[in-house]
Amino acid sequence: MNENLFSSFITPVMMGLPIVIVIVMFPSIMFPSPNRLINNRLISIQQWLVQLTSKQMLAIHNQKGQTWALMLMSLILFIGSTNLLGLLPHSFTPTTQLSLNLGMAIPLWAGTVITGFRYKTKASLAHFLPQGTPLPLIPMLIIIETISLFIQPMALAVRLTANITAGHLLIHLIGGATLALMNISAATAMVTFMILILLTILEFAVALIQAYVFTLLVSLYLHDNT
Amino acid sequence: MPQLDTSTWSITILSMIITLFLVFQLKVSKYYFPEDPKPALVATPKPATPWEKKWTKIYFPLLLPL
Repeated sequence: MNENLFSSFITPVMMGLPIVIVIVMFPSIMFPSPNRLINNRLISIQQWLVQLTSKQMLAIHNQKGQTWALMLMSLILFIGSTNLLGLLPHSFTPTTQLSLNLGMAIPLWAGTVITGFRYKTKASLAHFLPQGTPLPLIPMLIIIETISLFIQPMALAVRLTANITAGHLLIHLIGGATLALMNISAATAMVTFMILILLTILEFAVALIQAYVFTLLVSLYLHDNT
Repeated sequence: MPQLDTSTWSITILSMIITLFLVFQLKVSKYYFPEDPKPALVATPKPATPWEKKWTKIYFPLLLPL
């Protein structure tokens, strides 16, 4: 049962070929490139959504931070589309892989920290000591702030992995329970089915929310450092 | 837990880097948001008063027969 439950999280390999490349690149097909002066409805709707999101997200940044607009927008599109496509049955969700999330979180977080060190060295170092701390607490507080700085990319990666994995596991488990209960008692199976429906709605929300949270936090780290 | 099997980590990270930093950014960089052009305020010309409609010799001070 253990092996069966986690089998959807194994990186897919078909006949020795790593098709995970194709799966990771697949969501980009959902976003066609605008090539014409007046585009079709799909592209126009996507452009409008990206404009809405970027205005909301880049409002708090100054000139320096707004150069990250392209990065943040493609980040939220990538995570959102990957999570939503993962809700299809039997699909593989790349964002359940800790490797992918670490590979996203560490370079982005490091980019924000290095930007802060390059342009505002004193101010970014000053983040380690909040204003008005009593003198004897200073060494301990610097250690705590350093730890909390270095835990930021880990938290980003593990948060996304854990949330999406947990949601998928719950759907598997409750779906399996509904199936098993159908032969025993139809009424209980109905109840479990309702739970499944509610859970799926929740997972849609979680898919989008996680993308948003990831991008928001990266943008927040950026704000601290520009 | 299959996520902790590090043999597949390199190919996953590589494909993610290609997708996120190349493919998606190429697509989103092609988005353009047309500005809303507003018409510039055209100054309405002052309507010509009746005596300005007809140009006569007397408006040249140097040509006045004085």
